[in-house]
Amino acid sequence: MSNEEPRASVPEVVAGLNETLSRTGRVRAVGTFVIGLAGAVFVAALWWTEPGPLPVLTQVTFGLLMVFCLTWAGYGTWLLRTRVALFATDRVVAAWIGLAASALTGTMLVILAVQRGSGTWGPIIVAAAFMAVAITLVVRAHTHRTALLRRERTLNGKQES
Amino acid sequence: MTDELLVVRAQLGSRSALEDLVTRWQRPVWLYVRRMLDSERADDVAQEAWIAVVRALPRLREPDRFAPWLFTIVRRAVLNRLRDQYADRHDLVGGPDRGAFDRPDDAVPDAVDELVDRAEMIDRLAGLPVLEREVLVLHYLEDLSVQDCAQVCGVPSGTVKSRLNRARRLLREHVEGEVS
Repeated sequence: MSNEEPRASVPEVVAGLNETLSRTGRVRAVGTFVIGLAGAVFVAALWWTEPGPLPVLTQVTFGLLMVFCLTWAGYGTWLLRTRVALFATDRVVAAWIGLAASALTGTMLVILAVQRGSGTWGPIIVAAAFMAVAITLVVRAHTHRTALLRRERTLNGKQES
Repeated sequence: MTDELLVVRAQLGSRSALEDLVTRWQRPVWLYVRRMLDSERADDVAQEAWIAVVRALPRLREPDRFAPWLFTIVRRAVLNRLRDQYADRHDLVGGPDRGAFDRPDDAVPDAVDELVDRAEMIDRLAGLPVLEREVLVLHYLEDLSVQDCAQVCGVPSGTVKSRLNRARRLLREHVEGEVS
C-alpha cells in the first residue's frame, strides 16, 4: 500500500470539477433563481390587481403559476447552495443581475398597478423591499471581493519581501 | 506561493489558482482517503471530496487554515462512504472498546514509536479501527497538529491524543505479534 499512487492524474481531477466550475452552470443557477422569483412576484401582482372577484378556475390558474415560479426559484436556490461554486467575482455579477431584475420587476409592478388603478403603495413597498435586498447583496458582494483583493495584495507583499 | 494566497486567489475566481491548489493537495488527499478505504473506492471518494471542496471554497472564512478545513471535508466524504458500508454505527467506530477512546490522555510522545518506520506503519494502518487510523494518518502522514486533527475530526484535543495513544499501542501489538 505504501507505494501506491492515485490513479487519476491532476488534469483528470480538475476535469472532474468542470461541471461545478462551468460558467454555464453558474449562469443557469443564478438565472433560474432570479427569473423564478421575479416571475412569482409578477404573477402575484397580476393576481392581486385583478379587478373584481375572479372565477375559481382563474384563481387556480394563478395559484398554479405561482407554485410553478416558486418551484423554479427554489430549484435555483438549491443549485446555488449545493451544486455550483459562486466565487467573489461571480457573486458581484450575480448581485448586479439581481439588482437589475429587481428594478425591472419593481417598475413593471408599479406600472401594472397604475394602469389598473388598484393602488400604488403596495407595489411600491414591494418593489422598494426587493431593491433594498438587492442593493444589500451588491454592497456585500463588493465588500467581500474588496476584502479578498486587499488580502491578496498583503500576501503578495509578504511574499516579495 | 503559500496555500493562503492560492486560496484567496481561488476565492476571487482564479481558475489557475484553483488548479494549483488541486495539484498541491491531490496526493495528500488521495493518500488520506486511501488509508481509510480500499483502492477500489479511494479514487471515487477523493474526486467526490474535491467537488465538495470546490463548492465550499467560496465560503471558507480562514484561508490561512486551509489544510484542516480541507481534511474536514475529505473526512466527511470518507465517513459518508463508510456509513454506506457499515449498516450499524457500532461497526463504524471500531469495536466494543469504545469507552477507552474518549478518555483524555496528555501523555503523548512527540514521535511515533521507534518500532515501526513510516513505510511499515502505512502498510499496517489497514488493520487499525477507522478512528485510530484516521488520526494516525492526519497526524503522522499529513503532518497536521493535534489541534488541527481535533478540528478535522470534530473532537477535543484530548480525544485525539487518546486515539493516537491507542493507535500506537495497537500498532505496537501488531509488530510484537509479528516478531514473536
